Amino acid sequence: MQIAEWIETEIMKGHFESDQKVYSQYQLAEMYTINPATAAKGLNLLADEGILFKKRGLGMFVSVNAKEMIINKRKNQTLKRLVQEVVLEAARLQMSEDELIEMIKAVQNEEGEQ
Amino acid sequence: MKVIECKDLTKAYIGKNALNQLSFSIEENKITGLVGRNGAGKTTLLKIIGGFLKETSGTIQVFSERPFNSLNVSAHSIFVDDKMSFPPALQLYELLEAAGSFYPNWDMDLAERLFDYFSFDRKAYHQRLSKGKTSTFNMIVGLAARCPLTIFDEPTTGMDAVVRKDFYRALLKDYLAFPRTIILSSHHLDEIEDLLEDILLINDGKKHLHMPMEELKEWAIGIKGATATVLEWSDKKELIYKNQIGADTLYAVVKNDFDEPSLMKASLAGLKITSVSASDLCVYLTSESKGGIDNVFSDR
Amino acid sequence: MSLVIANLVDIVKKQYLFKLKANIDSFSSLIWIQLLALLFSLGGVGSTLASSGYLSIEVKYYSADLVIAFTMIWAFVTAIIITTKPYRNQDFTYVTNRLSSSLANIIFLLTASIIGGITAMLVNNLLKIIAYFIFNEQLYSFQSGFRELALGISMTILYVFCISAFGYLVGTLVQVSKLFILFVPVLFFGTILLKTSVQKEPFLTSIFKFYFFEPSLLLLLLKILLTSCLFFFTSIAILNRMEVRR
Repeated sequence: MQIAEWIETEIMKGHFESDQKVYSQYQLAEMYTINPATAAKGLNLLADEGILFKKRGLGMFVSVNAKEMIINKRKNQTLKRLVQEVVLEAARLQMSEDELIEMIKAVQNEEGEQ
Repeated sequence: MKVIECKDLTKAYIGKNALNQLSFSIEENKITGLVGRNGAGKTTLLKIIGGFLKETSGTIQVFSERPFNSLNVSAHSIFVDDKMSFPPALQLYELLEAAGSFYPNWDMDLAERLFDYFSFDRKAYHQRLSKGKTSTFNMIVGLAARCPLTIFDEPTTGMDAVVRKDFYRALLKDYLAFPRTIILSSHHLDEIEDLLEDILLINDGKKHLHMPMEELKEWAIGIKGATATVLEWSDKKELIYKNQIGADTLYAVVKNDFDEPSLMKASLAGLKITSVSASDLCVYLTSESKGGIDNVFSDR
Repeated sequence: MSLVIANLVDIVKKQYLFKLKANIDSFSSLIWIQLLALLFSLGGVGSTLASSGYLSIEVKYYSADLVIAFTMIWAFVTAIIITTKPYRNQDFTYVTNRLSSSLANIIFLLTASIIGGITAMLVNNLLKIIAYFIFNEQLYSFQSGFRELALGISMTILYVFCISAFGYLVGTLVQVSKLFILFVPVLFFGTILLKTSVQKEPFLTSIFKFYFFEPSLLLLLLKILLTSCLFFFTSIAILNRMEVRR
């Protein structure tokens, strides 16, 4: 769900504060040239997860601890899946656990230098 | 409210059924994509909805009326394609004015703005327009008419990529401002899928599926991996599509009714699970033989 | 969503105005055809020469019959043309049903007949003026006065309208099956040829007499109007079942 991800990123970046109103489904539809029903689905997905909450007749607002929820979700789902892939690939290449951890550390250092 | 309702709709031509026992309904103010292969019956269906053609059997109701010979249906719907016929004696701008006299919701301001944006000459004649320009002009008429039921049959024929993109955006923007029921038929599902709320896929004059676009995107999954593993894992499921890559790798598309743990198991077994794009899926679902064009070249 | 119920009269009115604009070319062709007829008529449609001794009298008949005949042919062809596919498809680009399309066509043909009838009679007078001024001939007119002119115009209009109704029916039949393109002329010339083989008054002549030699004005009016209505009703009934844009 690209729309949901995009709003999450906006919240992470601090473009939307807690209790602030996010874009309506129609604004999103117009911004991305997508059907408003698709945009609504993205918003509802975030509402179901508690990242957004509905105010009747007013629209969708950012929850108080939206940021943490997003961080937690991404850790537990997105990052975990990526790590799984990495571990599987390492197994296919018959790398040892230490070797893999070394590699991760090395990449982390490189990123730090940049 | 249902804008279109048809039941067992059949259209027979000599020796062939163009539509065969088609039943579906379309809700008000939704954008529905009508997709299907060449000759699947898309245009026939749309022309019956528009009241041009007569159904052979079954029932069809548009705004709760039989569309054939209905003045109401004609007044509240517009059928746009590249074969729209205009009097050769009238100039383009006069054609817009004429449309304005017929359609109660006509927006001349929008028509003029689009007309100027696509740099049409007010004094030009319709039959001298190029293919792409014809489609562009017809699209302007279709949008500015603001009919409660707007039918676009292959509206982008001959348009270049820029105009197509402009058209999709214009369509969406005007739809957001003035919601209405829109049916869009196209061979380029990948281009229009973001605009659609629902999709109606027909094949050989029959309904293949009719569901929200979002559901279709998750309706099937692709699995790729060692042939034996793929076959074992997709056990008892119909392969919507399969493609043998190299000696021992198989890409297969199956209906997605797996739960999270079994997908997990698949990845652990070394299978790569991917989502299947709506346009690919529609091609797979309606291809004549499951092997596709490659079958033509095999065993030679 | 509340939909305004479409009104037949309203739509027919709009369609009629649209057709007037769209078919403007047919009126320019009318002018050319009538001028052509005028040109043919300039020599006089008939003349008699009588002489006794030193006196010789030449009488030439100038008549607009040819102009009227050409106008009738024009109305016939125009009626056929508007039943053809491109014209029917044009109606369906905008708002219409088959009935409104035919009604607008009929009103259009009536307009065409009125214009055709009036101009034909005016051309008739033009012919006399030309004969008088250019050829310097002594003019004796059979019809004179406003009453005669008005009667002439109305009768011409009625005849032209009736012919256009026939053309509309023929055009409609051709839309049903292309075989009628052959069938109608065969019927027409067949009845003429019949005259030579059978010693009987040919069908066509009796039709001609039925419509053109009726002494009672009222009866004639009735005959022409009823015939036109019959043609149009039949056409509407046929067109009402036909598909468009196949």
